[in-house]
Amino acid sequence: MANPFRLPMVPRALRNLASKPATRLYPTEIRPRFAGARGEIEFDLETCNFCMLCARRCPAAAITVARDDRYWSIDQLVCIACGVCVDVCAKKSLTMSEGSRHIHTKAEIGPDGRRPGLEEWTKPAPPPAEINTAG
Amino acid sequence: MKRTTIPFGPQHPVLPEPIVLDLILEDEKVIDAIPTIGYIHRGLEMMVERVEYTEMGFVVERICGICSFMHGMGYCVSLESIMNVEVPERARWLRLIWAEISRVQSHLLWLGLGADAFGFENLFMHCWRMREEILDIFEQTTGGRIIHSVNRIGGVKRDISDTELAAILARLQQLGAEFKETARVFGTDPSIRHRLSGVGVLSMEDARAVDAVGPMARASGIAMDTRLSGTFMYDHIDFQPIVETAGDCLARVLVRLREVDQSIDIIRQAIDRMPKGEGMPLENKPRGNPTGEVFTRLEQPRGEVLYYVKANGTKNLERFRARTPTFANIPAMIKLVKGSDLADVPQIILTIDPCISCTER
Ligand code: SF4
Ligand code: SF4
Repeated sequence: MANPFRLPMVPRALRNLASKPATRLYPTEIRPRFAGARGEIEFDLETCNFCMLCARRCPAAAITVARDDRYWSIDQLVCIACGVCVDVCAKKSLTMSEGSRHIHTKAEIGPDGRRPGLEEWTKPAPPPAEINTAG
Repeated sequence: MKRTTIPFGPQHPVLPEPIVLDLILEDEKVIDAIPTIGYIHRGLEMMVERVEYTEMGFVVERICGICSFMHGMGYCVSLESIMNVEVPERARWLRLIWAEISRVQSHLLWLGLGADAFGFENLFMHCWRMREEILDIFEQTTGGRIIHSVNRIGGVKRDISDTELAAILARLQQLGAEFKETARVFGTDPSIRHRLSGVGVLSMEDARAVDAVGPMARASGIAMDTRLSGTFMYDHIDFQPIVETAGDCLARVLVRLREVDQSIDIIRQAIDRMPKGEGMPLENKPRGNPTGEVFTRLEQPRGEVLYYVKANGTKNLERFRARTPTFANIPAMIKLVKGSDLADVPQIILTIDPCISCTER
């Protein structure tokens, strides 16, 4: 039979009374993220050539690319931050940020029912002169 | 006597995840328990039909948030053996280190939940405070706290520098020293002993009969540990499976307590024995598409997990299946619940360390 007067948690509990809390006062005190932490995908419209490789390889199907419309979009709430798209993009158009991911709320849903976290880009078609020299 | 049926779950204070047990009672004694699963089935295995095999690893990781590293590793190891990819040595060591860190993480999480279930709030908070530090180590080394995404078919994506490894080891050993005090509370506190010892006893014969795995089997005196097979660099590590003989809830707690120390020691040995240096190869990329089938076994924190992969030479696998340890332990849980008091059911369910996300995938 255990001795009821031996309570091994008591010293620790007493020390807790005097020690400072283990938690932080979030959101006034925010712990900086570690270098190399995975955050959100950042896209560079200038370099992308709409090859669609990222959209094909994304396991979460977060990226939509339309080559003809020169349209690229990512749904940040669908993205699972695996980093595959960053690895496969030959143009280095994609980077993984190190900050925390943004918090999206229902309040962001606009009158047109647009999903929060959906980021879209469309690149204007190159001027006709450029097409002529290329073709 | 009149029988009463009480549904236990899917929402219950001790259950972090949904599972239902229909408990059939006579007075306060449980005479039968009928489990129902399927509340969080996500069809991840089916996704092999849509996601190419190269990216499926990131989906497999998401089977469960606690053993995510080992799920990713199990998937990658399966494909490596189908495709005959030689994984660089340093990558294999790094996998072992991450796997053991996740075991520490998982056991701390469970010990906290266990303490919470028997009403020891203070102990729960200490376990989870320590677990936070382990998650920091993960974030620092892999870029994610819960989902690590470092496993690739053929190796790992990131290296941990030797100085960083030494710092991690120092931190883990400091944590281990701190954990000793917590472990002593679990082992000696009279209220915990009173609550757990002699409750839910699974004898060695029963454990064999219902095929218990992992800490559940080891707490019943079966020295069973998939790591003993020596795969994944465990043949370079000196360790013995941790075995308790009582088979009750307390024994299952004690096994996990000692495994935390053991894992820290395994990490120390691994850091000692791995090849040192910067810029070592970490990944051999596979070529072509896989053809063939394979079974892979790993020792997860909750016990043995089994992966089956069948590939037919296309970009998408034909079949992927994970038999997770909780699934294997459900028969043992039902066996223990039958004949116990209604008040003991939460402890029994909790001490198998159920991970329902794993079970239902
Ligand atoms: S892979 Fe790179 S270049 Fe190709 S569409 Fe995606 S972002 Fe653009
Ligand atoms: S990080 Fe992964 S999930 Fe996110 S967009 Fe890139 S490939 Fe898709």
